[in-house]
Amino acid sequence: MQNEKGTSENLTWASYAAFIFAIIFFSGIFASSKDWLQVFDFSVLNGSFGKITGEAGKTFTFRGIGGSGARDGFMFAIELMPPVLFALGVVSVVDGLGGLKVAQKLMTPLLKPLIGVPGSCGLALIANLQSTDAGAGMTKELVQRGLITDDERTIFCTYQISASATITNYFSSGVALFGFISVPIIVPLIVMFFFKILGANMMRLYLKAISRQEMPHNMPVGK
Amino acid sequence: MSTTETAVKKNIIDMFIDGMRSGLRIAITNMLPNVVLAFILIRALQVSGLLNLIGKVFGPVMALWAMPGEAATVLVAAFMSMGGGVGVAASLYLSGILTPADVSALLPAIYIMGNPMQNVGRCLGTAEVNTKYFTVITAICIINSLLAMWLMKALLVLF
Repeated sequence: MQNEKGTSENLTWASYAAFIFAIIFFSGIFASSKDWLQVFDFSVLNGSFGKITGEAGKTFTFRGIGGSGARDGFMFAIELMPPVLFALGVVSVVDGLGGLKVAQKLMTPLLKPLIGVPGSCGLALIANLQSTDAGAGMTKELVQRGLITDDERTIFCTYQISASATITNYFSSGVALFGFISVPIIVPLIVMFFFKILGANMMRLYLKAISRQEMPHNMPVGK
Repeated sequence: MSTTETAVKKNIIDMFIDGMRSGLRIAITNMLPNVVLAFILIRALQVSGLLNLIGKVFGPVMALWAMPGEAATVLVAAFMSMGGGVGVAASLYLSGILTPADVSALLPAIYIMGNPMQNVGRCLGTAEVNTKYFTVITAICIINSLLAMWLMKALLVLF
């Protein structure tokens, strides 16, 4: 609880609006909307590349068809850049308006029941959405300041390492596959969080199991 | 978003541009090299005939997830780098080896694997987690990654 600086002090309606907007925008709910609502969709605003008509009336983008190896990989990576820029621009605005702090506020009371670490881990939890190193650094500090135990650190890091820097990674490298999947882009993201939480709980059970095993040796003699 | 009344230090345009700038940096210094490497790797495997072999050898294993054996290369690459895993999956999809259903299942699995090759140091090392847990944590990540592919394949029925 001590580590709440910046949690709720500057949460405005804009923070909540930004948070809700981010979820809607990346969820793909309005992707197939036919009216003006489709403006609230990431993939709609990403648009498309112009098409080139080649031999036999086949159309393709500037990347062409039938490439391979390093050259094709390079062209493919170029194609992926606009959505990466766009996604991280949106994430930056949402973060700047305090949208991620809303997530932190909502998650803090859930940390104990969900992954068995105290609410003081909220900030590191949110940092882990954007950066592996930031989340891990904050976790080390939490232990040094005596806010979490060694076991809690192990559990928390099991949560962090799996799908670490979730938002940044998913909306940069993950973009490469967005065009090839048959589910809305928010579905794999939810699955990732589900398994992050599941992993932390597997570690929780493991630690419980080994502490039970070690108990007889560590048991103080006498009183 | 209309957020004119909020007293934020940087305006929204600045924040957006800053975010895009970091997006461009990540795209050029991180995503692009990973994708190019993955495409080179798949090309090398194709030219040498190894991809075919991997497909045959891992066919029975990957069949557990209703995927071709070649999909195993995605998981191996993901163990070393998230971007690499994604790049290999993209390359295999574009070669017509993976279906949209396969890619949907592999996408979360790549990230859940947690890129142990790099992140054991960057995450567990930085946080100073006791080294005796490194193997267990890595094992949990791999197990969850495999479970995620089943979950995704099951969820696909809904879409």
